[in-house]
Amino acid sequence: MPVQSLQNTDVIVPQHAPHPLLPFLQSQSQTTLTRLYQRPSSCLSIFRLLGPIERQLIMNLLWLESALSVATMSAWVLPEGKNAYDSALTVMTGLHIAPNSTVKLALNPTFKSSLRQAITGGGNTGSFGVPTDKDGKRQSANIENLDAYALERWETILHYMVSSGQGQNPTKPSQGVLYLLQRSGLMNNAHGAALQITSSGFQFLLHSPHDQLWNLLLQYLHMAEERQMDLVEVLSFLFMLSTMDLGREYSTEPLSETQKAMLEDLRDYGLVWQRKTSSKRFSPTRLATTLTSSSPPLPSSHSTGGSRTADGTGAVALSSGAAQQGFIVLETNYRIYAYTDNPLQTAVLNLFITMKYRFPNLVVGMLTRESVRKALGNGISADQIISYLTTHAHPQMRKNNPLLPVTVQDQIRLWELERNRLKSAEGYLYKDFASQADYEYVLAYAKQLDVVLWENAAKRCFFGTLEGHANVRGFIERRTGSV
Amino acid sequence: MRAIKGVLLTCDSAVKQILLTMNEKDPFVIEDLDDYHLVIKADEEYRVRRELEAELEKNTYSLETN
Repeated sequence: MPVQSLQNTDVIVPQHAPHPLLPFLQSQSQTTLTRLYQRPSSCLSIFRLLGPIERQLIMNLLWLESALSVATMSAWVLPEGKNAYDSALTVMTGLHIAPNSTVKLALNPTFKSSLRQAITGGGNTGSFGVPTDKDGKRQSANIENLDAYALERWETILHYMVSSGQGQNPTKPSQGVLYLLQRSGLMNNAHGAALQITSSGFQFLLHSPHDQLWNLLLQYLHMAEERQMDLVEVLSFLFMLSTMDLGREYSTEPLSETQKAMLEDLRDYGLVWQRKTSSKRFSPTRLATTLTSSSPPLPSSHSTGGSRTADGTGAVALSSGAAQQGFIVLETNYRIYAYTDNPLQTAVLNLFITMKYRFPNLVVGMLTRESVRKALGNGISADQIISYLTTHAHPQMRKNNPLLPVTVQDQIRLWELERNRLKSAEGYLYKDFASQADYEYVLAYAKQLDVVLWENAAKRCFFGTLEGHANVRGFIERRTGSV
Repeated sequence: MRAIKGVLLTCDSAVKQILLTMNEKDPFVIEDLDDYHLVIKADEEYRVRRELEAELEKNTYSLETN
């Protein structure tokens, strides 16, 4: 049942939750990582993705010339912090930042020298990108245009996803983006030619842009592996972008072939901007420069094109920093007032509310049983709805404690439970055993295989899964055959 | 010893009673295990789920405001 298994993937990621990229990095070989660590910008970016304890440990070790004994470091750790310390070390050894040793603690020498270089500057590896000189003839892209461009690109993707199931014809993103959406399982075309959003796609829409972005980029990395692209080049380019300055132009000259090919893809996602496809310079957008930082990746999420108000009050953000800029008011009578003129946000809300009225800057709707059930049917969980409403609650709502009316929260959860009154599992019922001993013998075997779903000793029968049947049957046959 | 192919349903006792009533009309239950478990014919699961849904739906009332 997808609804249940997804409860762990909460929309609001707590600060200490490991970054989604880290498991991917950990799955890479030591040689790959060491090659990656030759680039100062990559080391700095990975450092920024790590949790506070890992960062603390790295800073402690960074300027030591010799290794530190493990005992010395653990002397600093309080008993109650032992678990956190141990898991931090596991992360570091998994990334090969620190070698796995029970005696000595030190940093990977490549990582150490690169991170030192990143912090102190110096060297000319060009790993942070090579800025171009000001071009007198043409005006370089200013930050406002870059933001508008990134926003337009990003919202095109999201808007395409959200309206795919509703018979509308929104602007199609490029072929590369469509392929990526399909590969990541966010959309599929099971029912004919047109792409349809999947249940994981619906969940994706409720995530913060930062999570969404990394979600897609992770998929991109997996695809890069299949396309035989050099993963080190791909990763280091992403990290390079994440350390670049917004509003500055960089030269494409020092980029490798792989990275030049990536420029095209990243342009489609709105991560980089180029005047022309053949242009020798490119500018990273805010989506790219905030990849490894905690600042919001999108400036504001106003109607596409971004006519931003100067004071930012009208700037309704989809971003993770939306805590200060929420737009949704939810009342105890299930009514929702959403102060937005953004078609994307309206479309996302439309996933789980029944629209009542629409005004230029306000959408009024109701959470109803039908609307919530429709969302649940699409694979969105009650927790995701609640956390979306929490994340985007209007500042006025923040005065309430608890933030959302408890009645409404409970009702959404009840509606979800209501759908799951019946659980089913296919399999075989084994009954009419000749003797209690027989029954217990077979049951013990089936339990060993972990295929028993239900048992009753008094009735002398049990229910096993479909997968276990071949084994259990074989076991019984061998037994009766040998007697 | 016998092995019977089927689908194990796990539900609350209220739903189980509804299922038993449905069974009288159009049998699909293979074995009534206990208060919370039933084994039914595998190819009937979809129909049973749909009918149960319709049955439960009769007991819900939505308040359509405005």
